[in-house]
Amino acid sequence: MSTPIDTLNTAWMVWDSLAPAVKGAVLEYTRELEKFLAEIERRAFRMAQVALRDPDDALDAVQDAMIKLTSNYASRPSAEWRPLFYRILENGIRDLQRRRTVRKRIMTWLPGLKEDPDNEAQDPLENVADAGPAIPEKLMQAEAMQQLEQSLRALPARQREAFMLRNFEGMDVAETARTMACSEGSVKTHYSRAVHALREQLGEVW
Amino acid sequence: MDEQHRDAFETRTRALFQDSVETIDFATRSRLTQARHAALEAAKGHKPWFLRWTMWTPAAGVTAAAVLGVALWLGSPPRQQVGILAEAQSNFEDLELVASSEGSGDVMEMLQDDIDFYDFADKVSSPDPAA
Repeated sequence: MSTPIDTLNTAWMVWDSLAPAVKGAVLEYTRELEKFLAEIERRAFRMAQVALRDPDDALDAVQDAMIKLTSNYASRPSAEWRPLFYRILENGIRDLQRRRTVRKRIMTWLPGLKEDPDNEAQDPLENVADAGPAIPEKLMQAEAMQQLEQSLRALPARQREAFMLRNFEGMDVAETARTMACSEGSVKTHYSRAVHALREQLGEVW
Repeated sequence: MDEQHRDAFETRTRALFQDSVETIDFATRSRLTQARHAALEAAKGHKPWFLRWTMWTPAAGVTAAAVLGVALWLGSPPRQQVGILAEAQSNFEDLELVASSEGSGDVMEMLQDDIDFYDFADKVSSPDPAA
């Protein structure tokens, strides 16, 4: 004959069997998120660096985007993470650029103040990655990349964004449109104009 | 021809970018790893809605109360329940008898009679020293 204690024990056994399933789901979800971030973080950093020039600002932008994604959108299907992440990152980049513009205006109005030398644009060659021995081919590649970065910075923001997402990140038109929150037709237009402008700036030989 | 140039341009820019990604210095890689861990730590405080305790606490409380109630009800058999009820009723009647004021008056009267009897018996049994 069953007693109340037996019945309670049975109920707790059911709960105990559910607990590992929940823990497993959390672990699986965290692992998937970490894998996604590890796979994307370096490209995201370089794209942010192209837009912002400053590596510290680029790191801040990437970290903010990571935190916002994991805090607010991690429960979304993993297929949506990439467009969401790049949309957050682009918004962060624009915020940083606006703040810089405001800071520059303030510095212009106040001639007694000078901008912090640490925040001034650095020598582009300082940001060139460690390439091991300074072989000519690597130097030429670094220089070519430097030219490309400068040309990308000269583009309108939407064209630069479309080019980097399509070309550097390898997104298709539909995913780029979701990331940029615009139509596929707009993506094609922005991308086409970006390629045209870059080729004009860099020259046929490049 | 122009399409070929365009494809070559795109391929070259992609290759240059990929090369610059692969040669990111160690310090930056380390900082990116730290940023990733910080983001994952932040995510622990923001679990998805289906894993949040606040979502399940009311439902879990109601379920636990229901399980406990059903367990207590089903755990005790019907005959045992009848026996417990009968025993409780008997105890209640005993308590009623003890608490009754009529009974307590009779007992005091009986005790008074006994004292008189014991006093008489004591006088009878003991020899009179004067006699």
